[in-house]
Amino acid sequence: MSFYLSTIAVYFCVDLLAAWALNMQFGWAGIPNFAFILTQAAGAYMYAVVALGPSGGLTAFQHYILGASLPFPLPLLVAAGAGGVVALALGLITLRPLRRDYQAAVFLLFAVIASDVVSADVGLFNGSNGLAAVPQPFSSLQTTLGLGGYQWLYAGFTAVICLGGLSLVRGLGGSGWQRALRAARDDEAGARALGVNPAVLRLQVFFIGGMLAGLSGGLLVGFISAWSPGAWEYSETFAILTGIILGGVSNNWGVFVGTFLVQIAFQELTALFLPQIGYPGLSDALVWVVIGVLWLLVIYFRPRGILPERRTRMSTLQPSTSPEMSDAD
Amino acid sequence: MPTETSNLSATQMPSAPVLAASDICVRYGGVEAVAGASLTIPTPQVVGLIGPNGAGKSSLLAAIGGQSRAASGRVTFDGEDVTQLPPHQRARRGILRTFQTASVFDGLTVFENLLVAGLGDQGSRLRGALLRTPALHARERATAARAARVLEEFEISHIADHYGRELSGGQRRLVEIARCLMRSPKLLLLDEPMVGVAPHLVERIGEHCRAICERSVAILIVEHSMEVIGSICDRVVVMASGEVIDDGSFASVMKGESVREAYLA
Ligand SMILES: Nc1ncnc2c1ncn2[C@@H]1O[C@H](COP(=O)(O)OP(=O)(O)OP(=O)(O)O)[C@@H](O)[C@H]1O
Ligand SMILES: [Mg+2]
Repeated sequence: MSFYLSTIAVYFCVDLLAAWALNMQFGWAGIPNFAFILTQAAGAYMYAVVALGPSGGLTAFQHYILGASLPFPLPLLVAAGAGGVVALALGLITLRPLRRDYQAAVFLLFAVIASDVVSADVGLFNGSNGLAAVPQPFSSLQTTLGLGGYQWLYAGFTAVICLGGLSLVRGLGGSGWQRALRAARDDEAGARALGVNPAVLRLQVFFIGGMLAGLSGGLLVGFISAWSPGAWEYSETFAILTGIILGGVSNNWGVFVGTFLVQIAFQELTALFLPQIGYPGLSDALVWVVIGVLWLLVIYFRPRGILPERRTRMSTLQPSTSPEMSDAD
Repeated sequence: MPTETSNLSATQMPSAPVLAASDICVRYGGVEAVAGASLTIPTPQVVGLIGPNGAGKSSLLAAIGGQSRAASGRVTFDGEDVTQLPPHQRARRGILRTFQTASVFDGLTVFENLLVAGLGDQGSRLRGALLRTPALHARERATAARAARVLEEFEISHIADHYGRELSGGQRRLVEIARCLMRSPKLLLLDEPMVGVAPHLVERIGEHCRAICERSVAILIVEHSMEVIGSICDRVVVMASGEVIDDGSFASVMKGESVREAYLA
C-alpha cells in the first residue's frame, strides 16, 4: 500500500505541474492548446535519451537519437528545455495567423500527427514500442533505502519541484505581465489599442508552460523508466483540461482540487478499487465517459469550477490601505 | 516630449500637428469604406466627426489607430509617420482609442482594466514579472495610486472591484475612456462613446472630454447627436461616402448645405 501511495504521490505532483502549466496557457492566455501533451512528451523523451547512454550500447534492443548518459539533474534540465522549445515551435506556427477556433483544431492535428510520426519512425524514439530501461536517478540508493524508501524519496523530490512550480506560477500570477495576457485573452483588439503586444506575450507563456510541462515529463520518466506513444495520447490533454475546468480555471488551488479529482480519484483509484467489469479495457473506457460527462456537468452547473478564479481587489493592490487585509469574500 | 511646454498660448506655431492624415483609403474586399479622406488636427482640440451610417467614420478611426491598415495615404502623428506601425506601437506613442462596441476586459476587474493600460509595456514585461525588482514595485504602486485617482475623477470608485462582465453599458463606456487616460494619450479617438449611455452620463462624458482636452489632449470624437457635438466640439468634420465633405466650426457646418445633403442622400 505504501508502495502504491508513493507512486500516486509522484503521479499527482507530475500531473499538477502539468496542470498549472496548461492553466497558464488556457486559463490566463485563453489558448486552447490541445497539443499540450506534446510538450510533456518532448521532455520525457529527451530526458530518456540523454540518460540512457549511447543507442545500441547496453540497451541494444532499442534505437533512439542522441544517446548520452548525463548525470542526474542535467536530464531534467534538458527535459525542461525540450518542452520549452517544442512549445515555442508550436506557438510560432499556430499562434499568430490563426483565429482561436481554428487554433484548437490545428493543435489537435499536431498532437495526432506527432504521435503517428514518433510511432512510425523507429530510429527517433524507438517507435511505438517506446523507450524502456531509462535509469532512475541515484538508483544505488535503492539498495540502502529499500525500494519503498527510494520511492518516497522520489515523491518528496517531485513534491519539492512541484512547489517550485507553484511559486513560479504564483509569482507570475499577480504580475502586470499576466494581467496583460488576460486582457489580450478577453479582447485582443482592445489590448493592442492599449499598447499590449499579444503575440509576444503568448509566445512567452507558451515557452514557460512548455518548460514546466517538459519538466513534468522528465520527472515522470525518471520514475517509471519507460515512455512510449501510448503514454501521451492526445486525450491526455483533455484529462488535464478537465481537471482545470472542474477545479476552477485560473485558480491554483482549484486546479489542485480538480487535478486530484480527475487524475487521481477517477483515473487511479477507480482502476484500483473498482472491480474490472466486462471485457478488459472497458472500465478504462468508462473513466473517459465519466470525464466527458463531468465536463458537461461543470459547464452547465458550475461554469467557473469548484473554486472560481479569485477577484483581485483594489485594496490588495493599493499602497494606501493595508495590503494584508484582503479577499474577505 | 518636445511639444509639451513651449507654446502654451495655442497660437499656430511651426511645430508638427498632433495628427495629419492625408488621402486615406480603407478597403474591405471590394468595399471602399474610406476614399481619400484627409484630416489634420493641428493642436489639442475636440474635433467632432459626423456623417450618416456607413460614411466611413469608424474606418477612418481604425486607419488612424492602426486597427485597419490604410490601403493608401499617410498617417503622421506628432511629426512621425506611423502609417506602417501596428496598433500597439501607435498606442505606445500616444494614440489611444475607444471602440464603437465598448471594449472592456470582461475577466478583469475595473481596477485591473486600468492597470493594464497604466503599467505600460515596461510594467507588463515577463522579465519584470520574474525578477520583481524594487523599481517595478515602485512603478506598480504609482500606477495603482494613479488608477485610484482616475476612478475617483470618473466617479466610479465604487465599481473598482467589479468584473468587466458585470458592468452596465454606461459604466463600460466610462471605464473604457478612463483606461485610455491611464496611458497619457496625446490623441484620443472616441467612437460613439455616448451610445447606450443614460442621459446624465452623456453629459458627464461630455464634460470629461472637455476636461481631458484642457490637459493638451486632442480628441477626435464620432457622435451622432448634434446637441452633443455642438456643446463639446471646437470643430466639426463631416464625412459621407468615405470622403470628407465639410470641415469647420459647428455653426458654419450647420449652416452649410453639405450636412443636409449628406444626411438626406
Ligand atoms: N470589417 C468590415 N468588413 C467589410 N465591410 C466593412 C467592415 N467595416 C465596415 N465596412 C463597410 O465600410 C463602410 C463604412 O463603415 P464604417 O463602419 O466605417 O462607417 P461608419 O461611418 O462608422 O458608420 P456607423 O455610423 O454606422 O458606425 C460601410 O459600408 C460598412 O458596411
Ligand atoms: Mg461607426
